[in-house]
Amino acid sequence: MHDMSAHAAAHHAPPSGFIRKYLFSVDHKVIGIQYTTLSLVAAFIGMALSWVMRIHLGWPAASIPFLSTLSPNGAPGGVPTPEYYLSLMTMHGTIMAFFVLTAAPMAGYGNFMLPIQVGAADMAFPRLNMASFWVTFVGFVVASATFIIPDGPPISGWTAYAPLSAVGPAAGPGQGRGQDLWVLSIAFFCVASLLGSLNFIVTTIDLRTKGMTLSRLPLSTWAWFINAWVSLLAFAVLLPTGLLLLLDRVGGTSFFIPGGLVVNDKVLQHSGGSPLLFQHLFWFFGHPEVYIIILPAFGIVAHVMPTFTRKPLVGGWKVITYAMIAIGSLSFIVWGHHMFVSGMSPNMAMVFSVPTLIITIPSVIAVLVFAFSLYGANIRFTTPMLFCLGFISLFISGGIGGFFLAQPAVDSYLHATSFVVGHFHFTMGLSAIFATFAGFYYWFPKMWGRMMNETLGKVHFWLSFVLVYCVFMTMHLMGLTGAVRRYSSYVADFMVPQIPTNRFITVAALLLGAVQFIFLYNAIWSRFKGPKAPDNPWQATTLEWDTTSPPPFDNFDGRQITVRHGPMEYDADASVMQTSPEQSIAGT
Amino acid sequence: MSQSELTMSTGHEVLMEPSPYGIEKKKLGMWFFIVADACTFATFLFGYGYMRVGSQNWGTPFEFGTILNGIVMTFVLLSSSLTMLAAVRTTQAGEKASANKWLGLTMLLGTVFAILHLREWFKMIREGWGLFSNPTGGTTQFGACFFSITGLHLTHVISGVIALLIITRGYNQGRYNTSHVETAGLYWHFVDLVWMFVFPLMYLMNAR
Amino acid sequence: MSSNREPGMGSYVGIVIGLMIIVGIEVVLTYQHLPVRTLLFSLLCLASVEAFVGVMYLMHVRYESPLLFWTVFPATLFVLVLLNYVWPDAYRMARMSLGK
Repeated sequence: MHDMSAHAAAHHAPPSGFIRKYLFSVDHKVIGIQYTTLSLVAAFIGMALSWVMRIHLGWPAASIPFLSTLSPNGAPGGVPTPEYYLSLMTMHGTIMAFFVLTAAPMAGYGNFMLPIQVGAADMAFPRLNMASFWVTFVGFVVASATFIIPDGPPISGWTAYAPLSAVGPAAGPGQGRGQDLWVLSIAFFCVASLLGSLNFIVTTIDLRTKGMTLSRLPLSTWAWFINAWVSLLAFAVLLPTGLLLLLDRVGGTSFFIPGGLVVNDKVLQHSGGSPLLFQHLFWFFGHPEVYIIILPAFGIVAHVMPTFTRKPLVGGWKVITYAMIAIGSLSFIVWGHHMFVSGMSPNMAMVFSVPTLIITIPSVIAVLVFAFSLYGANIRFTTPMLFCLGFISLFISGGIGGFFLAQPAVDSYLHATSFVVGHFHFTMGLSAIFATFAGFYYWFPKMWGRMMNETLGKVHFWLSFVLVYCVFMTMHLMGLTGAVRRYSSYVADFMVPQIPTNRFITVAALLLGAVQFIFLYNAIWSRFKGPKAPDNPWQATTLEWDTTSPPPFDNFDGRQITVRHGPMEYDADASVMQTSPEQSIAGT
Repeated sequence: MSQSELTMSTGHEVLMEPSPYGIEKKKLGMWFFIVADACTFATFLFGYGYMRVGSQNWGTPFEFGTILNGIVMTFVLLSSSLTMLAAVRTTQAGEKASANKWLGLTMLLGTVFAILHLREWFKMIREGWGLFSNPTGGTTQFGACFFSITGLHLTHVISGVIALLIITRGYNQGRYNTSHVETAGLYWHFVDLVWMFVFPLMYLMNAR
Repeated sequence: MSSNREPGMGSYVGIVIGLMIIVGIEVVLTYQHLPVRTLLFSLLCLASVEAFVGVMYLMHVRYESPLLFWTVFPATLFVLVLLNYVWPDAYRMARMSLGK
């Protein structure tokens, strides 16, 4: 028996007034909703950017409505210039990777659900939590501001490689103020993420309620906890990288700028720096970042699936958790696989290639656990469950592409082709987004106290599922034939035959975008007009379902929560809440 | 877990799992912040190492005067760690007047460090050093690395002094207690420990 | 939560004086005209000793739960070890600028 420490919960009195309740709130639930809303807005902006890119790729001469109003220089007559195309691509990647994929599944749902799932009244540091959101918000505003400044957003990609990103306005449109604002936006995001990770880690360690041992933590909590560690260490390296880049840009230093560079017929004064150093430092963060994106997705699927299969995952909590720990740790030693053709030492290529192949092992184990957990299950095909099944399919499809890219010899050909674009969209853009949708449909009743429309949800799923394969599997094929990424038009001889394929992808992508409005309509309508949700509409087991929908201010109305069961116990078809009295359960 | 970290409570006790680390959450949070900050400084230092290995004419320009100044700065910072320990001790014992004295001394020593550092900076700048200028004709990377790394550290020292000011004020007004002072102490010692690496790598390795 | 096994202020004074002595050793070593690699290695070793002593005693980890040490130390060390991957390219940069 461990000694129970009794302490008065660190409560704060319920806030009053609109500003303290909904705007500057320290309540983790409000902050979670704020993050989720921010991500939704960002997602639609990012998606709109991709529509413009896709239309231009399919019909290079087409004039795109409103574009010339947004940027008369970048899109004269509504047709994006090649440089503006790069600007759109840069901000699409930046907004999607940071403000959607890193924000929603981790900061959005994690903030709302983690304290409740461990049985706490709030996060460990509520005011720090509020600060994290608002710093993220400022970062988003700064990033969005790049669209309305005269020179437009930067053109260097979300990866912002030096020396293009480091030499300043001479490098191209958007490389002046635009790139400065971009670096600032990312710096804000780093700080917010670091502080957020702190909160997640300390809350999971220190604020678990009585009986909530680590072995009884829900798998989504485990995922957020492991992810917070990865996030803490990765963003800690991105921040100085950004600072060094800023110094190169405004301080006249040459950390990343080699000597003898000629830009626009002028020899730059910088010398002595190394663009390769930027890539090393960026990808040291950049690779863990993609796992920061996918780990919460694993957690959401691991959390949602048992509810609708009515049985625990194969291997219980341990296999998935250890797989996630392995993935999180290994994610730090593979970053060089983004740099196989960068000119880095070829010996290093092997050093990075082998761990890249090894990291597939825990990933495959996790996905197989999900797939095999369907065997013998009494599956309830709700919308969240469909999105989980979609996740399994999409992650396998995307992951297989990774096997090819992990090998330097093959990557030499495939690097910077549409194959890579297809690969990372499948693994990040699709798998993680589908898991995020699963979480959205699953937790919507808890967060807003209303049920979403199941029919619309199913339509959303099926149309999206078919269309994402049309868009992104085709990209793999295009990449194999040599289609280069980040090109704004297909004029080279070998790429001209690709144009019909491009148009096919564009049409599918625009349809896919339209389908997302079904989801948006469903979400907004249900928020106000949906049928009221009971406490536990899915007959789930974890602590968030042991309270009202939505939860009261302090999550449990002052009740003492004592946990006696793990998160995946089911008795016949009935779920065993984690707080149920002790009883012998067969098959757990 | 310290009972003293109550804020407002609904009035009744809530049973929780004990913290496996046995320290309260403020200090735990500070430890993880320190881990992240250590990685940030490490990135800067590795960048410096990369630049140094990769450049042809690095040079070792620091005369003994600069090194002596660095030694004095190191001793000042180490002493401030000692006074910080004394401050924590006296806070734990509830000796408010003593605690104020030690906290004040720590802040004073931190300020002395900053002044010595800035004096040296301005001297170097007058001689022609800068983020992209090297009066000895050697690589301009020297100034970039030197000013960015020592600048980052100096920012941490100054922030630390300001934080200690806020903590001391709050402690005297009864809003903050021992745990706040201990947490600030952790940060202060961390800043000292970073200097343990910055001084040999940035100063001694560049001594003439 | 302070342990009862903590040393008195006197011991802390001794520890800080010890750290100052190590700094002194570092300075003396600097002026011994050692090869650069040897000096760097020695300074890094001594600095690591200082940091270790600082973490264990000044930052109190010696008297805290072992779990704190085994969480904080390996995590930080992990990142520090991995950053060493940059050296092969640093040396290539050096060789390239010599025209090799």
